[in-house]
Formats: sequence, structure tokens, C-alpha cells
Amino acid sequence: MSTVRSSPQGYHGCYLRIDVGQPTLERIPLAETELRRFLGGSGLGVHLMLRENSALVDPLAPAAPLAFVFSPLVGSPLTTSAKFAVVSRSPLTERINDSLSSSHFAIAGKRAGGDAIVLVGRAAGPSVLVIDDGQVRLEPAGDLWGLSCSETESRLRARLGNDFQIATIGPAGENLVRYATISHAGRHAGRGGSGAVLGSKNIKAVAVRGSQRTPWAHPQELVALAKRLSDKSFGPATAKYRELGTAANLLVFNRLGALPTRNFQQGSFAEAAALSPEQMGETHARTRASCAACTIGCEHIYALGGDADNRGGVRLEYENLFALGPMCNISDPDVVLRASRLCDDLGLDTISAGGTIAFAMECVERELLDAPWLKFGDGEALLRALEETGRRQGLGMRLAEGSLQMARTIGPEALAFAPQVKGLEIPGYEPRALQTMALGFAVGTRGADHNRSGAYEVDFSEHVDRRRPGNDAALLAVETEDKAALMDSLILCKFLRGVFVDFFTESAEMLNLVTGWDTTSEELRETARRIVTAKKHFNVLCGWQPEEDTLPARFLDNPLPNDLSATLTTDRLQALVLAYNTARGWTPDGYPTEEGLDSLRANG
Amino acid sequence: MSISVEMFGIPRQRAGVSQALAEGGQLSEVLANLVHRFPRLGDECIAEGRLQHGYLANLNGQRFVTDPATPLAPGDSLLILSADAGG
Repeated sequence: MSTVRSSPQGYHGCYLRIDVGQPTLERIPLAETELRRFLGGSGLGVHLMLRENSALVDPLAPAAPLAFVFSPLVGSPLTTSAKFAVVSRSPLTERINDSLSSSHFAIAGKRAGGDAIVLVGRAAGPSVLVIDDGQVRLEPAGDLWGLSCSETESRLRARLGNDFQIATIGPAGENLVRYATISHAGRHAGRGGSGAVLGSKNIKAVAVRGSQRTPWAHPQELVALAKRLSDKSFGPATAKYRELGTAANLLVFNRLGALPTRNFQQGSFAEAAALSPEQMGETHARTRASCAACTIGCEHIYALGGDADNRGGVRLEYENLFALGPMCNISDPDVVLRASRLCDDLGLDTISAGGTIAFAMECVERELLDAPWLKFGDGEALLRALEETGRRQGLGMRLAEGSLQMARTIGPEALAFAPQVKGLEIPGYEPRALQTMALGFAVGTRGADHNRSGAYEVDFSEHVDRRRPGNDAALLAVETEDKAALMDSLILCKFLRGVFVDFFTESAEMLNLVTGWDTTSEELRETARRIVTAKKHFNVLCGWQPEEDTLPARFLDNPLPNDLSATLTTDRLQALVLAYNTARGWTPDGYPTEEGLDSLRANG
Repeated sequence: MSISVEMFGIPRQRAGVSQALAEGGQLSEVLANLVHRFPRLGDECIAEGRLQHGYLANLNGQRFVTDPATPLAPGDSLLILSADAGG
């Protein structure tokens, strides 16, 4: 017997809205127009945040929604499609936050019967939220409170069974550290503090399983396309990720003077080679791993040296390498590995943790902060600071607030070198050496962000002078941001982007084979622009002001000490921001126009 | 004319060295000479005097170049690297 579907293929046509205070579950319909306009992942997530009117709600209040958002491609045979977005208002930036993670939780979460799971409310005490094929219950989590992410996940799998997939917070989320993560299978929805939002709801973990699959419109053609895409994913465009991982960036950035060092006081690190994957591969055993439904296998897992605890090794990415290494002037690979593991266990975003601690180290150096133990280059001090942050003990009470809030309590001098935009700590790209990326950081709706803007690709091209980009760089930056918005909404892994010849056209083909729609590359370009505008609109509702779209004073009108030609003038950044706003079709100071806002209304 | 070449990422893996001297007065000649000296670079990084999709060349750490006819001068340093800088 066939059933008549009211939603497009690839979708359930509803989201599960769960009040964890009861708990109760409602299925809220999603119209096809909403789904086609916002797709899934980040796009559908920001739409849901607008629909739930969350812009004016304190991100850590019970009423604040936290969404796990899937996509039409989740569960398909397309490589790297097992991904989910976690979307909320950020407790770190008080702006939109969408962080992505991967693997079996995406597949199981979608099979629970909704295109997203939106949590509101607050449980009476520490709890595990169990979503069992669309039925919901709370289980006590007192025995799990205080445990690491990985320990929590393994205990819950033992308790509930291996067919449950689990997303969990560590002690940092419990303690409302503003850059706490949500972890699944060792991977993290890392940026912006979604772990604190889950912790504020007294939810230690979400365990989910389900059996509700969504059909594909053209299964034979989809399987054939998926095979072609997988074949391409084994090629040279992804070789860097397979063979060395993202850590391969380290020596390149160092050579180009773009490696943030000592809290952005320098753009190169004399001891970078010791931390490179090329050298660490010689001194530390290394294995590889993949997310579910991925043929790239970018994860490089290093064994810890000496007699250290060696359970499962440590995933090492460029971002944790830079943030816990050169940023803190640490050159001992074992310290960086131990610090990375500690962040994974506590559930801390490595970029914000490393950035905030490096900032505090500079405050100590300048005698603005009385914590003499916290010195650049001191590995034990780094580990102590991470532990105190995750537990909100000692200096950790202040570090847990992030560099911007900490600087505000110290004074204007500290604000000048707090390494953040909108409160989100800057990732491993020196803005003075990569000035199109500087623009991307300044205008990013999530704050300083290398995942929502790929403007570094423009700097790494012959199209611009990376230390003196003209205003045409803004157009190229918009293009990278639109691509990222689409990838994050379909959802596909960005490490796949090199295999596409015409990303928007090929995306339309994939989407149409799953959904049965007739989207075109032009429609998807418009969709991407709509998603970016929706995020900006959310921020405006949160109280965004044009002066937020800038960089800290350290980066303006001051050359990099090791590269005097790398000077980002205030005038140049302002001109780039203006060119960006113009290219977006927004007002010169960055507000979406009425026409842009009309496109956000699903039935408009 | 010898040009100093620095290799990063996959090009370094394929060549088996981080630095080398290569002969040539323009980009295409230097790339061809590199393949002659390090044949595995021809597997996927360099073909017919051009870098393959996914690889970049940078001159002296200053500007990225793709034109095979880009002139090189004594003392220049050519960087060969994997294209994706995302992490």
C-alpha cells in the first residue's frame, strides 16, 4: 500500500519540537516553500531560529531554542553527506551560531522523523534526552555529570544499546563555558557555545535512534551520481586531507607569514616544523579515520608520546594545532596533543580556548592580569588553564567567558588585542597577511569565522594582492561565503569542494535527484544569498550595529612585525566592508533592505 | 639559471624533499625540470609545464602565479603547495 506524501522526497516535512522540561514532543509542519528556500542545515536552522523568535531570548534561558538540523542529503549515498548543524543564538557572541558536525548522529537523528529537532525548556535536573523513533523521554544523568564527552558517550551506548547515536556535552557545557561544544563520536559542533546552551537545559546528552527513512525521487540516478562523486573524491583534489590532514597548512602559513603566533603578535613561529604533520608523522604513530558515509578520510589521529594515556589517540587539525601551539608559543607536540585531548574531553572549542588563553598570557606579560603562572610557552600552564576553564575554577571563571568579555573587565588596552570579532575568537589566519580573509572575519555573521567565509581562497590566488586587496576582492569574498552557505545547508563537507567543476550546477543536480525538484544553479545562488541575509537579519534583531563589522585595533594600521608590508589600514578595511555590503545588496552600513527581507518570508 | 624551489604538502610528499634547485627562466620550464628530477610530481601535481588543479605556485612568498610564461629571475624562490588552505 502506498502513502501519499505531502512533503518533497528527502524530507519529513516537519520538525520535532521538544520541551525538555516536560518532556513533550510536537511535530511542527514545514511547508515545501520553507524547505526549498532554506534547504536544511545552517539555512533551515536560521529560518527556524527566526520562526521561533529566538533573537531576543537570552541564549541560556530555558525558552531559548537549540536546533539539531538535518538536510535532504542526509541518509543518501552521496559522500560526506552525513552531517548536521547545531543552530542557536550564541552565548559567546549573542548573535547567530551555526556549528556543524558529522557522522551517525545525523543519520539516526533524521530517522527519528523530523528534518530538525528543536529543544526548548529546561529539565528539572541533569538528564539524558532519549528520542526513540519519535517518542521522547528523560533519563537521569546524575551519574554522568562531570564525565568527559567520550566517557559519557560510551557509558550511554552501553546503557541504551549501540543502535542509539549520542551527542553529548562535557564538563564545559555543564558549567556554561561560553565556548563549550557538543560532541558526537569524537567530533564536535565546535564554535559559538552550543554546548553551553544544551547544558543550560540540564541536558547532558541527546540519544537518538529511528527507523523513519525518507525516499529519494530518482534512486537509480542518485546512486550512479554518488558513485561518480565518490570516485572523484579519491583523486588529487582531496589528497592533502587524506595524506596529511588539515595540519598540512601549518608550514605553508608559516612560510607566508600568516601563522598567528603569541596571540597574533607575530605571523610566523620559529619552531613550527616540530609541530608539522610531516615531522610528527615521523615521531608519533598516526592512523586515519572517516565520518560515516565519507570517502575522504581526513582525520589524522596521533598517538601520545611517552607513558601518557593512549586511549584511542588524539585527532589533530590545523585549528587546534595553531591555537594550542604557536598562539600560546608552545612547540612541544606532546603538549599540543595533550591539550587537544583535554579540550575534547572537557568539550571546549579549541580555537576559542587557545585564543582566550593566549590573550590572557599576553595580559599577564603586560601586567594587566595577576596570574604569574600563565606564561607563553609554558605547556603545564596551558593544560592548567584549560582544566580550570572547563571546570570554571580559579582563573577559569574568567577564561570561560571568552576573550571579549574578559577584556571588557580588564580595560580598553586589553580590548585592542583580544583576538576576536563579535566575541568569537579568530581562527588560524593572520588577518594582516590575508586581508580578504580579514574582510570575511569582519563581516561574518557568526564572528571571526573560516567556515562560513572561505575568503582565504581569494588570498591564495592570483586574483588579489593578499596584503593590498582592491575592492573587487569583496565580490570574490561574497562568492566564497555563498558557496559555504550552500554547502552548509545541503549539507556537504567543505573538503569535497575541490572536486566540483561547477559547484552550484552540480549541487542542483544532486538536490533534484533526491527531492524531485527542478532547482537550477541560479536558484541555488539565490538560496545561498537568502541564507546569508537571514543570518544578518537575525543579528539585526539581536541588536547588531555596523561598528561590529571590524577587527580589533591590533590589526589596524599596525604592520606585522615580521612583514612590514602586511599593514591593514582602517580605510582599506572600511572600503572592503562597504564593497561587501554593496555586493550583498544591503545598505552601505550593512542592513538588509526591504527587498532582501521579503525574500526571507517563506510564503512571500 | 637555477631557481630555489620550496615544496609543501602533497608536492613535498611526492618529491620526497622540501627544497630543491630547478633549472629554467620561466615558470613552465622550472615545473618541467622539477618533473624531470622528481617524476612522482608528474603523477598528479604537474603536467606539461603547468600545475594541475588543486596546486598553487607562489613567487617569493609574495604573489601567486599561474601563467606558464611567468619570468623568473636569479635569486627567486618558488613555492609549490596544495591549493586548499581551509582547516
